[in-house]
Amino acid sequence: MSCVAAKTWMLRETSLTDILADARVWKLKDASAAPARPVWSTGKSSLDARLPGGGWPTASLVEVLLDETGLGEVQLFLPALVACQRSTQAGSEAPWLVWIAPPHEPYAPALAQQGIELGRLLVVRPSTATEALWAAEQALSSGVCAAVLLWLKGTDDRWLRRLKLAAEAGGSLGVLFRPARHRFESSPANLRLSLSRGEHEAHVDLLKVQGGRPGPVNLDGL
Amino acid sequence: MRRSAKSRTADLFAAEYGSAVRRPDASPASLPAAPLAPLAPLAPLASVSIAPQTTAPHPLSRPHSRHLWYAAVFPEMTQESAAAGLQKLCLHAQAFTSFVSIEPPNALLLEIRGSVKLFGSLQRLHADIDACWRQLALPVRSATAPSTLAALWLARAGDALQIEDVETLPGHLAKVPIACTAWDGELLQTLRAMGVTRLGELMRLPRAGLARRLNPGVVQELDIALARQPAPRRAFVPRERFRERCDFETEIEHVAYLEKALEPLIERCAQFLLKRQAGVQALQLRLKHREVPATRVQLGMASITSDQRRLTDVLRQKLTGLELKAPVRGMELISGSLRGLSASSLDAFAGLTRAGSRDSAPQLVERLRARLGEEAVYGVCLIAEHRPEAAWRRVHELRLSGAPQVAEGMIDQGMPRPVWLLSEPLPLTKPQLLQGPERIESGWWDGKGVARDYYVARQCGGRKPEPTPAGLPQGEGQDGPSQAQGIRLWVFQERQSKRWYLHGIFA
Repeated sequence: MSCVAAKTWMLRETSLTDILADARVWKLKDASAAPARPVWSTGKSSLDARLPGGGWPTASLVEVLLDETGLGEVQLFLPALVACQRSTQAGSEAPWLVWIAPPHEPYAPALAQQGIELGRLLVVRPSTATEALWAAEQALSSGVCAAVLLWLKGTDDRWLRRLKLAAEAGGSLGVLFRPARHRFESSPANLRLSLSRGEHEAHVDLLKVQGGRPGPVNLDGL
Repeated sequence: MRRSAKSRTADLFAAEYGSAVRRPDASPASLPAAPLAPLAPLAPLASVSIAPQTTAPHPLSRPHSRHLWYAAVFPEMTQESAAAGLQKLCLHAQAFTSFVSIEPPNALLLEIRGSVKLFGSLQRLHADIDACWRQLALPVRSATAPSTLAALWLARAGDALQIEDVETLPGHLAKVPIACTAWDGELLQTLRAMGVTRLGELMRLPRAGLARRLNPGVVQELDIALARQPAPRRAFVPRERFRERCDFETEIEHVAYLEKALEPLIERCAQFLLKRQAGVQALQLRLKHREVPATRVQLGMASITSDQRRLTDVLRQKLTGLELKAPVRGMELISGSLRGLSASSLDAFAGLTRAGSRDSAPQLVERLRARLGEEAVYGVCLIAEHRPEAAWRRVHELRLSGAPQVAEGMIDQGMPRPVWLLSEPLPLTKPQLLQGPERIESGWWDGKGVARDYYVARQCGGRKPEPTPAGLPQGEGQDGPSQAQGIRLWVFQERQSKRWYLHGIFA
């Protein structure tokens, strides 16, 4: 009897501030405020406007769902990659970019044309998906990579969580390209978007935006 | 008459070969006091640089040598056994001097001027070194002289002479048969035909004529032998490597225990490297089993290192992927050859500025390579080439530090290039062209010539062209139902066959 009374007393006394102080409660207002980590512009103003902070968040995992390559998915990230390689202070070394299991050979002249520093690009071709995930985790958490791009056929939730933690620990941007069939699975990624073919340009659909509103994005020319 | 001819030759000789050889009646006081030519002491380093001695020494310059060379010739050493054998003997000889040099095929040269005082006297030192060879049961001929070649020639001649004084050198050398010089047979034959059998007779010949008629090298070697010309030598540097083993009391069956047992070995290896200011790029771990042959684990590092953490890291990655074929009884860690370590990697504060979990690019690369294989991790670079497939290549030697090079001129901003390049062009039907053509016609010189018109195209079919059997262009009928368009392709038409191929995808 006394036990129940204590419980009700506790419930009554718990105010809103107490609940908000709980670390498990996630507040939308704080997340939409300017994030502590820098963001990298996507190069598309309409997409930037929809992302919290106005660009790709660093130290986080971004998941891109698409069924075929060639929808401009790399182009979405290239301006950000170039910017982060160029923005380093003189004296310190330019950060590395790691591409793990890309679907085709990354074509060096094209990347150089876009402004990527090829001397700081690492291509990794693991033999299995587990090795690819392991390599991505190592690269993300190493702290020497600005961004890690990973192409995968499929993976489980547990690995994604590890990748996210690694990205947060290393302060780098993890980008995971997955087939669109994973669209309805839950994912710990900070940002999820799906790319599909459109009439002229690819459709970009924000599925999950931490601190922002999901929904389709109208790109003004990709 | 005969006497006067003889004195004339002696005069000639004195003029030609400087004041080294004096007529017995000439007093030392009558010698011109030529200044000592500055001669840098030969450092026992591999990188001795000395100005080329192309000009003949001044005839009046006083021959001198600050060095004293002990030569040991091992006549029974055969060509095959000599290479390794001499290196072993060098290690013995290093008990007497720090500067030991190998004279192929079968001789050693020791610079012993600095050791004379330590061993008491030259006679004593000479006898001690000789005793060292005797202990090894090696027949040896030895001699000591102020120049390398003189010591060598005297040793070959078999007189165990100890000449300390440059002044007496010509007199002793004069008695040496020319065969002891190890000049080539043809030259010796010519000399014998001229009636020259001993070096003294050779030295009596006019210098210019000797150089012109026989070989300028002969005159130069005589100069070196008479300590008139410096002859820098390369010191023997022992090849060091870390090699340590440990045997287990009980056999280890799990890799996890191996890792634990490896820790002290790696620590000692790192200490060993640190003391020598050196690093390694390769390591080998041998795991010994009772019956099956030892398992060898090769480790490659992305850069030269002596860092214990990095060594442990790579070893651990290698071990996790290892399947033990039998229980391990013991193991041995062997380093590759030691390399000099640049000072930059010995930053005392490097560990403080970075967070604990973070590491450097070489570390990341070697960890990835340790698990995924050397070939799986690579970079890309540009090549100045018009053919698209040849304009890049994989690079496995990554520039892991320093500013990356910028090849501005090689970046062509004119025509768009796709992010993905197919490894092989795929045949396809004529697509809807958006941009182009860009004519690329190149490579006729190496048999892989191309003559193509490149276009940026939009995919008109529903699907991306799948690989089709060679020579069968993909027909429209094979494509799926026409959908919306989105993918931009990089296609080309071969100018001769007029066929269309897909070569890249703009992603």
